[in-house]
Amino acid sequence: MFREAFLAALTVFICYGGNWLFGQTMIERPLVVGMIAGLIFGDMRTGIIMGASLEAIFMGAVDIGGALSAEPVTATVLATTFAIVLNVNEKAALALAVPIGVLAAFVSMFMKNVVMNLFAPLVDKYAEENRPRAIAVMHFSMWFINYFIFSLITFFSVLEGAKPVQQMVNSIPDNLMAGLAATGGLLPAVGFAILMRMLWSKQLAPYFFLGFILVAYLELPSVAVAALGIILVLVTSFKDKQLLDMKNKQKELENRPVVASGTTDSGNETQAEQEEEDFFS
Amino acid sequence: MKLTQDMTKEDKKMLNGIFWRSFTVFASRAGATKTHAPGFMYSITPALNRYYKDDPEGRREALMRHTTWYNITQNVGTFVMGLTASMEKKNSEEADFDAESIVALKTSLMGPLSGIGDSIFWGVLRVIAAGVGISLASQGSILGPILFLLIYNIPSILTRYYLTYMGFSLGSTFIERIYANGSMEILNKAASTLGLIMIGSMTASMVKFESKLSVPITGGKPILIQTYMDQLFKGLVPLGITLLCYWLLSKKVNVNWILLGVLILAIVLGLLGVV
Repeated sequence: MFREAFLAALTVFICYGGNWLFGQTMIERPLVVGMIAGLIFGDMRTGIIMGASLEAIFMGAVDIGGALSAEPVTATVLATTFAIVLNVNEKAALALAVPIGVLAAFVSMFMKNVVMNLFAPLVDKYAEENRPRAIAVMHFSMWFINYFIFSLITFFSVLEGAKPVQQMVNSIPDNLMAGLAATGGLLPAVGFAILMRMLWSKQLAPYFFLGFILVAYLELPSVAVAALGIILVLVTSFKDKQLLDMKNKQKELENRPVVASGTTDSGNETQAEQEEEDFFS
Repeated sequence: MKLTQDMTKEDKKMLNGIFWRSFTVFASRAGATKTHAPGFMYSITPALNRYYKDDPEGRREALMRHTTWYNITQNVGTFVMGLTASMEKKNSEEADFDAESIVALKTSLMGPLSGIGDSIFWGVLRVIAAGVGISLASQGSILGPILFLLIYNIPSILTRYYLTYMGFSLGSTFIERIYANGSMEILNKAASTLGLIMIGSMTASMVKFESKLSVPITGGKPILIQTYMDQLFKGLVPLGITLLCYWLLSKKVNVNWILLGVLILAIVLGLLGVV
């Protein structure tokens, strides 16, 4: 089990640490993590399929401004490891992923916000000493320390937890299992609610229900919904742009007498501005 | 591209340096008070080294300025990095330049840029990419994860690149102007509309609830409650729970409590034999 534990921890380190080292390129999302974990444990198909289910569950689990609801990497790696290596039933593995993700998010936030605070005085110190190279070294050391410690959780979970988890899963009664499986179905609701908080306004709310009905009743695939959405957005944006241009022109006309009585300079300036705006539109 | 036209070779070298370094901006997180300051300092080092080449005291002061809290959606944060480079340039050239205005501007742009950045990249682009990726990956196809990565990363990396240059050449007046003339509002509205459509569709396809409860009928097959609920409105429970979560969030209930509530609700429903 030592080899498996090491490989699982390595996957967490590569996916979670790599994601933040290489510009948040989404290699921390379950879709990708599932594939990589599957590849490492020799069953990529299972990894990809589990990744798809977990991506749906953790869709709304996004790290926005350091506030994280659930941490998808540890959850995906452990669930995939349990399913492939221990032959735990896939549904049960998915159900286990949810509490793991919530716990891991707490640890991740504690590490980043509290433990890493130790380095804050060093930032000031090196700046005062005018040592940008030292800042660079510290920047990458902090990265390594944080994600190394974090991947240890996975290492020990697999090393020590594999047997108890297997026993536990086998002894879960059916109705509790059904409840755990249901958490996977309901949890995305929290994630979508978080995303909605960013986008929601009274005027735009009907579009949320439009998207819902397009899938619930018309059963359109997501590519079709995205394409329809883009068309709709283009049409309304063109109209909005027209209205805006009219409004801006009106404003300009109202201001004109003032401009005419002033210097000619400001007149030229607005024309130049207008040209620049045309370029960006 | 017009943006890079009248730039010197040195400008381009510096901006490319900032662009590549910016990928690591969130690699470290120095606690809750400084957050990503080290990453920001590391990213703009090419500019500081260039403009304060013969002025170690100037570079020291510049470094100390930028030890403050920094956090912007990283694909649009490069705009502020380019802008900072252009302002540090001015500061190194003009003796009476107010250096504090660099930090003030940087800080004032964090809110609006993150607002639009988070909704476009997290709320819209990622949701579309994941939607396409999930539908392929759930059949076991490797195309799922690959398309997911391509759909998300191609536009985001292009944005990161061009905004580095735009921040440097257009400066702060550009942002002020597109806010003033209302273009930002249209962009914001377009992004939110598309995002809400996608989230609505994902709510329908990914939030799942099915009840096992049934009403026994004498002399016939028992009728599933779920059939009635579907006839009333398809996906009534998932929609209701999503809206309830949203309502709780807008009432400033901590997200961890909501999460815990949903977990407990699902487990209790399972124990009672409802699901």
